[in-house]
Amino acid sequence: MTDQITYPDVVNYAVPLFIAAILVELVWIFVKRRGGRYETRDALTSLLMGAGNVASGVLLGFVAWGVYVWLWDYRLFDLGTGWIVVLACFILDDLRYYWYHRIAHRARWVWAEHVNHHSSQHYNLTTALRQSWTGTFTGMWLLRAPLVLVGFHPAMVLFVGGLNLIYQFWIHTEAIGRMPRWFEAVMNTPSHHRVHHGRNARYLDANYAGVLIVWDRMFGTFVPELDSEKPDYGLVHNLGTFNPLRVAFHEWLAMFRDMARPGLTLRQRLAYAVAPPGWSHDGSRAMTGEIKARHLARHPEDTGTPGFDRN
Amino acid sequence: MPLSILGPMVVIGIAGIAILLHLLGLSRTVTLADNTAARAAWDEEFGNEDPARAVTLAHDGHAALIETAMGRPGIVFAMGADTAARYLDGARVTPIADGLRIDLPDFTAPHIKLHLDAGEAARWPDLIGDNA
Repeated sequence: MTDQITYPDVVNYAVPLFIAAILVELVWIFVKRRGGRYETRDALTSLLMGAGNVASGVLLGFVAWGVYVWLWDYRLFDLGTGWIVVLACFILDDLRYYWYHRIAHRARWVWAEHVNHHSSQHYNLTTALRQSWTGTFTGMWLLRAPLVLVGFHPAMVLFVGGLNLIYQFWIHTEAIGRMPRWFEAVMNTPSHHRVHHGRNARYLDANYAGVLIVWDRMFGTFVPELDSEKPDYGLVHNLGTFNPLRVAFHEWLAMFRDMARPGLTLRQRLAYAVAPPGWSHDGSRAMTGEIKARHLARHPEDTGTPGFDRN
Repeated sequence: MPLSILGPMVVIGIAGIAILLHLLGLSRTVTLADNTAARAAWDEEFGNEDPARAVTLAHDGHAALIETAMGRPGIVFAMGADTAARYLDGARVTPIADGLRIDLPDFTAPHIKLHLDAGEAARWPDLIGDNA
């Protein structure tokens, strides 16, 4: 049983801020004629995905919460609620986010829910709200279990997770170029996250950070935004629909169809679920490594430059 | 925040932003300026493995038929201010009032409506071929 500790539901309280910031960005772009693009149906789809994400949290949030509360009874310590504990929880949860996000791009089971966040060909503040409806089904919320077992209260863990999400809102913009150097070195920024949303071969599978970009620098996944190569946003093969239902479920359907193909071994069926996006049993599709290799075959001069300097 | 406040705020916010975007003229569909633009749009998606060999651009520039280097038919079509591209394997073509409708066995691009003039509407089904 949990003690009576509560924190505000910060994501819901941030909704007016989200709406106001979108209006400010839109007016900025419209007046300045630079700093990003908006398109009605794209933005509407993103906003509806965001609303669906909130609704799915209301409907399914009890699953993760119930497990966290159950785990709380088996905690090793009770770390309390001091500000230093909240800060430690925030930083550790940000590390948790880095690994969740990295897995989301490297295992199709999780990519199936995360892909919709990358499905817009635009990059503006509405893109930040293009969130998954099906995250609960991946089981990735279990990555928060160690925090609870160590002794961070479940309510605190969800609170800092909400702060993390709110931080990530403002970095989905082209209206901000680069932040001060020290900030770019430590924090995730619009520049770093534009790279993450790029479908350019150079930028694939990079910059998984939530708040602190230091995780990418530490784990070798950091790629800087190059002035010479603007990110091209969206998916390797972009969607041909704005229908939120299709956006939300298309990759799940494709994955299950692949798993159900006739004539596959059990290992191949499992690989369609857990291997990186682009894996196929007959090698007919391309994963990130192959896409980068094909790019280098046509542009050998890029060898060793950012995004092409890792094996 | 109570749902009684959050719900209406979300609905009004989404509707308001969508209406504002439309009033600002941001609902316009992309126009492919010429065959080069259509070819580039195809090659952005499939150029690595199967680039465009021939292009037939619709009169309004909102779509283009592609013949690929491997001899497969494909299409580039407007997705709002951007484009998407698909092979036409399994395509079913149906005449509609102002052009053609292509149905694809593809959950992410199930229907493509093409606004074509009478000549294009008569020619394009043959160019697409029977892929169903």
